[in-house]
Amino acid sequence: MKELKEQLINRIKAHFPDITVENNFNYNRFDVSINKESIHSILFYLKDVMGFKHLSDTNCVDWLEEGEFEIVFIVWSPAEKIKIFVRTRIDRNNPVLETLDMIWPQLHTYEREFREMFGIQFTGLEAPDEFILEDWQGPPPYRRDFDTAAFAAETFFERPGREDAEDVREAITKLTGEEIPEFAKKYSR
Amino acid sequence: MSFFDLKGTLKPLTALKQFGKEPHTITYPKVSKEAADRYRGFHYNDLDECIGCGNCSTICQNAAIDMIHLEGIEGGKGDSGLRPRVDHGRCCWCALCVEVCPTGSLSLTKDYLYVSEDPDSFLWTPGKDNPGGKEKISFFSTEETSLNVFQRVPMTEIEGTERIKSFAEVVLGYSEDEARAEASRCISCGLCTEVCPDHMHIPEYINAIANGNDADAVRIIYDNNPLPEMCGKVCTRRCEDVCAIATRGEAIAIRWLKRYATETAKTADIIHEIVNPEIKEANGKTVGIIGAGPSGLTAAYYLALRGYGVTIYEASAKAGGATMYGIPKYRLPLESLQKQVDYIQSIGVKIHFNTKVGKDITFKEIYDHYDAVFMGVGFPDAWSLGVDGENAKGSMQAYRYLYMINSGEKVDVGDKVIVVGGGNVAIDAARVSRRMNAEVTILYRRRVEDMPADWEEIEGAEAEGVHIIPQAIPIKVIEDEKGNVKAVEYLMAEMVPDERGGRPKPVAIEGSNTIIEATAVMAAIGQMGDYSFMSEFEDKIKINRGRFVTNDKQQTTDPKVFAGGDAVNSTADAISAIADGFRACKAIDEMLSKK
Ligand code: SF4
Repeated sequence: MKELKEQLINRIKAHFPDITVENNFNYNRFDVSINKESIHSILFYLKDVMGFKHLSDTNCVDWLEEGEFEIVFIVWSPAEKIKIFVRTRIDRNNPVLETLDMIWPQLHTYEREFREMFGIQFTGLEAPDEFILEDWQGPPPYRRDFDTAAFAAETFFERPGREDAEDVREAITKLTGEEIPEFAKKYSR
Repeated sequence: MSFFDLKGTLKPLTALKQFGKEPHTITYPKVSKEAADRYRGFHYNDLDECIGCGNCSTICQNAAIDMIHLEGIEGGKGDSGLRPRVDHGRCCWCALCVEVCPTGSLSLTKDYLYVSEDPDSFLWTPGKDNPGGKEKISFFSTEETSLNVFQRVPMTEIEGTERIKSFAEVVLGYSEDEARAEASRCISCGLCTEVCPDHMHIPEYINAIANGNDADAVRIIYDNNPLPEMCGKVCTRRCEDVCAIATRGEAIAIRWLKRYATETAKTADIIHEIVNPEIKEANGKTVGIIGAGPSGLTAAYYLALRGYGVTIYEASAKAGGATMYGIPKYRLPLESLQKQVDYIQSIGVKIHFNTKVGKDITFKEIYDHYDAVFMGVGFPDAWSLGVDGENAKGSMQAYRYLYMINSGEKVDVGDKVIVVGGGNVAIDAARVSRRMNAEVTILYRRRVEDMPADWEEIEGAEAEGVHIIPQAIPIKVIEDEKGNVKAVEYLMAEMVPDERGGRPKPVAIEGSNTIIEATAVMAAIGQMGDYSFMSEFEDKIKINRGRFVTNDKQQTTDPKVFAGGDAVNSTADAISAIADGFRACKAIDEMLSKK
C-alpha cells in the first residue's frame, strides 16, 4: 500500500506540482493541500482521471488564530481502496469560493451548510438563502468565535430545581478555608 | 386510450412479488432497534471512578450539567464529593463532556428513548438514576481519544554521570514555551488545593502561566507562600498525587510550573517590584520568632505585611532552616534561597543570625519582650542507629553531614559510604557523597517502593550510581584498630504482611549476615526536637511525643506562644511548615488586634 500511495502521489504531483503532501498515516490515507484556485481542477482530475469517484465527506475547519477557513474533501477510490483528504484554505475575512457542485451534485448541500454555518460564500451556488436555521440573525454559529454558551444562556430558560448546583472550586475553598485573592479570581475556572 | 388496458390490468399483479416476504409491519410488543456503535444516547457515570472535578460541567456549552452533592458520597483527598447531574432537556449530545472527562468515568449509552409528560423529569443524575447504563455504554473516551493531554512536558536535566562532578543544579527548569504548554494541560478543577497543606491557589497561578501572564502568577503565588521558589524546586508536592489528570495520565507538573514562574523574578528587587507588597503602617505591636526556617520566615513575612514589628532569632549563620542546611545545593542552590530571604528582609523582617536561644539569649527574655512569640525551631537532633560500634570515627548523622557540607565545611568520608535509611535525607546524603567521589550504598529495611523519599530523588540517585540494597537491617558498625569505621554488618530481611492491615514489616532473616566495607556510615532514620532552651516553661508549654501541643491555630498551651514546622506536625515537609506559619500569622493578628 505504501508503494501504491507513492505512485498516486507522484501522478498527482506531475499535474499539480504546488501541492503539499502529508503521507505519514499508516493506513490507506494521505492528504494533499492545494491553493483555492486549483481546487476545482484537482478534484476533477482525481474524480475523472484517477478514479476517486466517491466523495465520502466534506468539512470545514475554522483556523481562527490563523485567519483562515480550511475546507476538506475526502475522496475515495473504490478500485485502489485509498482515500485522499484534499484540503484548501481561504481567507477568513473574505471567505469566497466558486461553487463545486458541478463535480459532485451532493456538494450543493454541503455548500449551503457552509454558507449558513460558517458564512462562506460560494459564487454560482443557486439555492435559497435559508438552509437549516430559521430567521437566523446572528453570526454564523459554527465559527469558533461564536459564543455558544452565551447563546444558550439567552435562548433557553433555567429549569427550576437546579438551584442546588455548586461550583467545584468554591466547594473546595469552603472546605479548606482557602481565600483566593480578588485579582486572582479571573484565573479561576 | 384503447378499450382494453393491458398494462392497467397486469401492473397490479406485480405486487404479488412481495408475496412470501417478511412483512414490514411493527412487531408487538415493540422492539427498539439497537443503536449504532459509538451512539451518543443518555449519559452514564461511574460514580466510584468520578472524582467530581467538574470538567464536564465547565465544558458544556448548553449549561446542561450541574455539580451536586449526592447522598453517601463524601469526597476527600482528590475528590470534591460532587457529581454531575444532567438536564437532558438541554443536552445536545455533543459528548464533549465525555471527551474532557479526565477519569473516563463519564460515557454515553445506547439508550435514547425516554418519554415523559413531565419535562422536569429530564433532570437526572447519570449513574445514580440509571445504574443499568453501565451495560449499554457506547460512547466513551480512551487515553488516545480523550481531549485531555495526558503526557507531561518532560523536564530537562543534566545527565547522571555529568552531574556527580559538581553541585550544579540538576534540574534545568522549563523554558517559556514548555511552561505554557505544560500549564495548558491543567483543567483548573482545584482538587490539588485541598491536599496542599498551605492551600495555595494552584489553578489560578497555573492558568496565569497558561495565559502568558507570569507576573500575575508570581503575585498569586506570594499570596500565601513567601518561599515559593524553594517549593518550586524541592516541595514534596502532594498536590500532584491527586491531580485529576493523573487518574489516567501524568500529573500536571505543578511544582515545576511554580518554579518556572518564580524564577522569572531573578532578584529580590524584581520580586519586590512584581509582588508590590502592600505593607501596613506599623501598629506598634511586636512578635518575636525563634528560628528562620520556613515556618518562622512565613509567619514573619505576613506579620510584617500586617504592620507588626518582627524579629527572628536564628542559631545558624543563614536563614532557611532545614531548607538551607538539609537540602543539597544541586537541588536548591544557595542564591535561589538567598534571593527569597533577601526579599523577606526587604519588607522589614529583622533577623539576628548566630543567635541561639537558650545560649545567646534566653527564651524568657523573648517571651517577656514581645507581644507574641512564634517558634519554628525544627528538629535539630537525629536518631542514632542504636547498634554496636556506632561511635566509631566516620560514623555520623546524615543530617549533620548535610549541615556541614552546606555550611562549606570539609568532611572526609573516604571512598566507601554507607547510608542507612530511605527518606529524602538518606537520598540527599547519598547523592552528596557521590559528588565527593565516594562509592555509595544505601541500606534500607523495606523495599524500594516503600521508601518515603520522592521517587524522582530515588531515580536521580540511581542514575548517579548510588547502589540501593533494600531489605537490609544494619546490626553492627565494625571498627579497625584505630577506631575508624571499617565495615558494616547487616542482616537481610523478608517482608511479612502486617496482621493489622498496615504495610508489610521487615523481619530479619537469621544467618543472612553480610559484611560490607565502609569508610563512613551515615544514619538517616529520623530526627527529633531539642527543647532544652525553654526548660523553665516546661509546665506552661506542653510537649507530647516530642512535639509541641497546638490547637488548629498553631497556638501552644501558652496563649501567647505559637509554634509550627517540624516541631509541631509530623509531615516533616517545608510546605506544612509554611502553612503553619501562615496560620499562626492570622491567629496572632487576630489575637493582637483585639487587644
Ligand atoms: S469530568 Fe468526569 S470525573 Fe470530572 S466530574 Fe465530570 S464525570 Fe466526574
